[in-house]
This record gives sequence, C-alpha cells and structure tokens, in this order.
Amino acid sequence: MKLLKNIDKKTFIAIGVLLVVLSIVPHLAKLSTITLMSRIFILAVYAMSYDILRGYTGFINLGHALFFGSGAYIGGILFTKIDNTMGVFVLAVIITVIYCSLAAYIMGKIVLRGGGVIAAAMITLALGEIARNTAERWRSVTMGADGLPFKIPDIFRDRLGFYYYALIFLIIMTIILRQFILSPTGRVLMAIRENEQRATFLGYNTSKYKLIGLQVAGITSGLSGVMFGILNRFANTDLLSVQQTLNALLITLVGGTGTLYGAIVGSAFVNTVQNYLLDLRSVHPIFERWLLFFGAMYVVVVLFMPEGFVGLWNKYLKDRRTKKNSRVFEKGL
Amino acid sequence: MADTLIQTENLSISFGAHKAVNNVSISLEKGLFTTILGPNGAGKTTLFNLISGLLKPTEGKIYFKGTDITGLSPIERVKMGMGRSFQLTNVFSRLTTFENVRLSIQAHQEVGYKMFTDYRKFKSLNDKTHEILEEVLLKDKKDFLAGELSHGEQRKLELGMVLALQPEVLLLDEPTAGMSIEEVPTMIDILNKTKEKGTTIILIEHKMDMVKALSDKLIIIVNGAKLVEGDPEEVSQNPEVLKAYLGGGVLNEPTT
Ligand SMILES: Nc1ncnc2c1ncn2[C@@H]1O[C@H](COP(=O)(O)OP(=O)(O)OP(=O)(O)O)[C@@H](O)[C@H]1O
Ligand SMILES: [Mg+2]
Repeated sequence: MKLLKNIDKKTFIAIGVLLVVLSIVPHLAKLSTITLMSRIFILAVYAMSYDILRGYTGFINLGHALFFGSGAYIGGILFTKIDNTMGVFVLAVIITVIYCSLAAYIMGKIVLRGGGVIAAAMITLALGEIARNTAERWRSVTMGADGLPFKIPDIFRDRLGFYYYALIFLIIMTIILRQFILSPTGRVLMAIRENEQRATFLGYNTSKYKLIGLQVAGITSGLSGVMFGILNRFANTDLLSVQQTLNALLITLVGGTGTLYGAIVGSAFVNTVQNYLLDLRSVHPIFERWLLFFGAMYVVVVLFMPEGFVGLWNKYLKDRRTKKNSRVFEKGL
Repeated sequence: MADTLIQTENLSISFGAHKAVNNVSISLEKGLFTTILGPNGAGKTTLFNLISGLLKPTEGKIYFKGTDITGLSPIERVKMGMGRSFQLTNVFSRLTTFENVRLSIQAHQEVGYKMFTDYRKFKSLNDKTHEILEEVLLKDKKDFLAGELSHGEQRKLELGMVLALQPEVLLLDEPTAGMSIEEVPTMIDILNKTKEKGTTIILIEHKMDMVKALSDKLIIIVNGAKLVEGDPEEVSQNPEVLKAYLGGGVLNEPTT
C-alpha cells in the first residue's frame, strides 16, 4: 500500500503486532472488557476529531459534542422510525455526514467571523446548549430527558462482532485523518495554530481553512456518535452536553494534543480509569463521582505532563536521538 | 521616471489621540530600492502595517499598481504581489525551517484546498523550498524547528518566507534588527541579489552602512509625517533632516 511507505519499519512492525493482539484479545476477554474496548475505539475517534480542532487548528470548541450527540440521535431516530437494517445504517451515516458538515459550516460562519479564541469558545458553548435543549424538548422524536433506547441492525448485535467493527472504524478514521493532517490543507491548519497572522500574510485565507478543519472534525465526531449510539443502543442528551465535549478535551490532554495518536492512548487510559472507578462504586459511593476524578485527572495532567503520554514518549525519543526527532512534532504524528 | 507601484494619499491613522501616521503621501516606484528612515517611534512600522493591510487607515487611500486597495484584506494584497516581513520575528516556531518556507511556497503556488494528497509529494514545492533555503543560507538548518534557530537565522528565515512568495514588491521591516554585525553583509548580499532579480524593495532600516549600500531613494519620516524624500546623497545633506534627525545624533549610531 502506498500509504505505508511513509511509515518506518519499526513503527510498521509495532502497529502490526498491536493489531494482531487486538484481534486475539476479545476471544480471551470477558464481555465487559470487550464492550470497554469497543468504547475505547469509538471514543478515540471522537477525541481525534477534537484534536483536529484544538491540537491542529488551535480552536477551542466547547460545543463539539453537538456533532457527536447528533450522530447518535440520527442513528437512533432512523432505526426507530424506519427500521433497524443495514440500509438504514448506511442512510444514517450519509445523513450524519451531511448534517454535521452543514452544522459545522453554520457554526464556523458564526464563530470564525473574528473575535478571539475565548469568544469562539463561548459561542460554541451556547450552540451546544441549544442543541442539547432542543433534544430535551423535542420529546415526540427524542423522548426528551429519558433518552432514546433503540434497536440496532442484527449484524451489530453480537458484542464480539461489533468489537471488530469498532476497531475497523478506528483504523479507517485514523488513516483518513492522518492523510488529512499530512495534506497541504492540514499543513496550513498547523501553520494557523502556530501563527495565524503570519499565515494570513502568506496569503492563506485562514477562515476558510479553519472552516474546513471544523467540518472534518464535525463529520468525524458525528460518525463516532453513530457508532457510540449503536454500542449503547441508546442516545440521550448527555451525549450533546458540555461534559461530553470536556471528555474529548481530557482524552486529548492525557494522550497528547496535536498528535492524533494521543487521542487513542488517551481514550484507552481515561476509559479504563473511568471503568475501574465505576467498579469501585460498591466499595464506596464516592467513586460514583466521576466528575471529581475527572477534575483531579485534569489538574494532574496539566501540572505534570502538559504534553500528555505521546508528548512524554516524544521527549524520551528526543533525548535519545536529539536531531532526528525535531521532525516528529512537525509531522504532527 | 519609473512606474509608480505603491502610492499613498494623505494616509493617516490615530491610536486614540496619538496620530502615529499623519497625512503621508508617498509614491514608491517600480524597480527603485527605497529606504524609509526615521527615529524610533516615528511611525515606520505603522506605515507598513497600513500598506500591507494589517491596520486600516483612519483617513487616506492606498493604491497598488493603480488599484485602490484601501479596503482590501492582507490576503488579497498578498495575492496581488505584495510581500512583507516583520520587525519582530514572526515565524511558525514549532514547524521546521523547511516547512516554514515550504508553506510560503505552497501559498504562492496555489496548491488549493487539497485534503488527501501527501504534502511531501509536491516535488516542485520541495525543490523550490531548497532553492530558497540556499538563497538565505539556511540549507543545513532545514530540519531544525524554527524556534530553535538563532536570532540571526530566524531573521533570514523570515526573509526567506517572503522571498518564497516571489512578490513584486517586498516590504522589509528592519530585516537585520537584533542581528550581529558580522551577519549584516550577508543580508546586504541577499537583498542585492533580490533587487537584481527585479523585485522592488522597500526597506525600513537604521543601519546607515546598509542604507547607503542599497538605497536608490530615501524617505525620512519624523513624528508620523514625511519630512523629505529623494536621492540618498541629497537627503542626507538636507539641512532640515540634519536638524530634525541627524542633529539628534541618531543616524550614525548603530541602533538595533
Ligand atoms: N497598535 C497600536 N496601538 C497603539 N499605538 C501604537 C500601535 N502601533 C504603534 N503605535 C504607536 O505608534 C507610534 C509609532 O510606532 P511604530 O512602531 O510605527 O514606530 P517605528 O517608526 O516603527 O519605530 P521603531 O524604529 O522603534 O521600530 C509609537 O508611538 C507606537 O507606540
Ligand atoms: Mg518599527
């Protein structure tokens, strides 16, 4: 494959081994582990979409869950109102892509007109809240605050089978997003993150580029939402909430911002910890307070490893071979 | 008389009560190496900010190649062939030197919004990047992050990035600011070569040896207003200039 030419041999082998392990593990694991891992894969894609925005474009979107939740609802509503078949799944994917690119376009047009990062953060926060509120009130379709349980296509019903679909989903999205980051457009996004004014003076229409970045992120987020909905067979307004956006933020922070792969590492870490804490609920009710731990983890990460796991790893590599490594960050991978 | 490339008409901008640029009308001719001189805080950088579109004037008009560009964005001005560098180094620090220049070239060659082709596959961009890096003597630093370069190297990179845009007119704001004395001749050399290629250069500079070596024309700005303009020899003999500017003992002092 042409794609693989850019990856050096060691990385190639490492990825190969990882994939083999990931294909075997579910056969040995408990059902709950399989579900947890599927969740990790899907939320990794969601976090990668957030990284495209924050890590590569430097744009803080507090309404990012809007796309994620919408994806889950679009799937759920269509499966409920039409039928739970593969055809409808494909339809849900298509509608999610269209809906999210439109929503991102509108969001972008409102947010990217000027004003700073803070203004953008506030406006996106408001937009996200509007979406959440709409879902809560539109009871006839969304079942409001109770949430929407739905039936899914048979092919996804088997947990083990779905594990593989989630894994394939992660692989495909990683390849696509990696290509995007390595494209001329992706490069310009990095330039904008570094220094938007200078990018303007090179003649780049930075708002247009940011809009493209937002649309790519929105669509990716929406698709991960569809998958997440199928995993849970359920959609509720939490999926549209700021909390859900902050989850993506935490995952990318833990993993490493602006690294794409950091989102995968972060998702594995955060979801495993979250799962573990939930198991401790029976020991003491304090472990139900995920938000508390969420906050604590946030503080620890910001204080002790501001560049996340992938940042730490890169630093380690850098210490080993100082020169070659200066490209690692720049490639953004 | 050469064609006028850039013209300003009664250009003014105020920051609150302070008129940083006051009623400046100048014309910059094609092919002439023009240097803008003036004491610190005279408004030189602000004048560049107006011409390049970073700031909008409170009054007056700017023409570029005969078109009124007063209302145009910086992006549109760049596309028309105007390139500028910054007094304070303004590069993409966490990208490599190579990538900084390559991005400039990508902008100039209008690669477009390609989303899934690998950026390294555009051979002509890479070749051109190497050429520019050679021109500004940064070839062996190409894999360093821009932020890791020395100050002088960053100034060269800054220049390389505008050169890569192949502008018709190049606005250079103190390209040697903060550079060591030994590095200045290299800069003069690069600028001379650029001039020979037919690029019109407008320079803001304090270093007199450099100004004398390069300029075809001087414009003196004091307190936001144009004092005199003309032939370098004449201007530096002008009693008004001597009084208002040289008299202050600023001109021969190697300021930063
Ligand atoms: N954005 C701004 N807001 C407020 N005041 C400004 C702004 N930009 C410049 N000024 C003021 O305008 C005046 C002219 O500044 P400018 O930077 O143009 O001077 P300069 O001639 O480039 O000086 P130097 O030789 O030190 O670079 C200064 O008094 C400066 O403080
Ligand atoms: Mg200045």
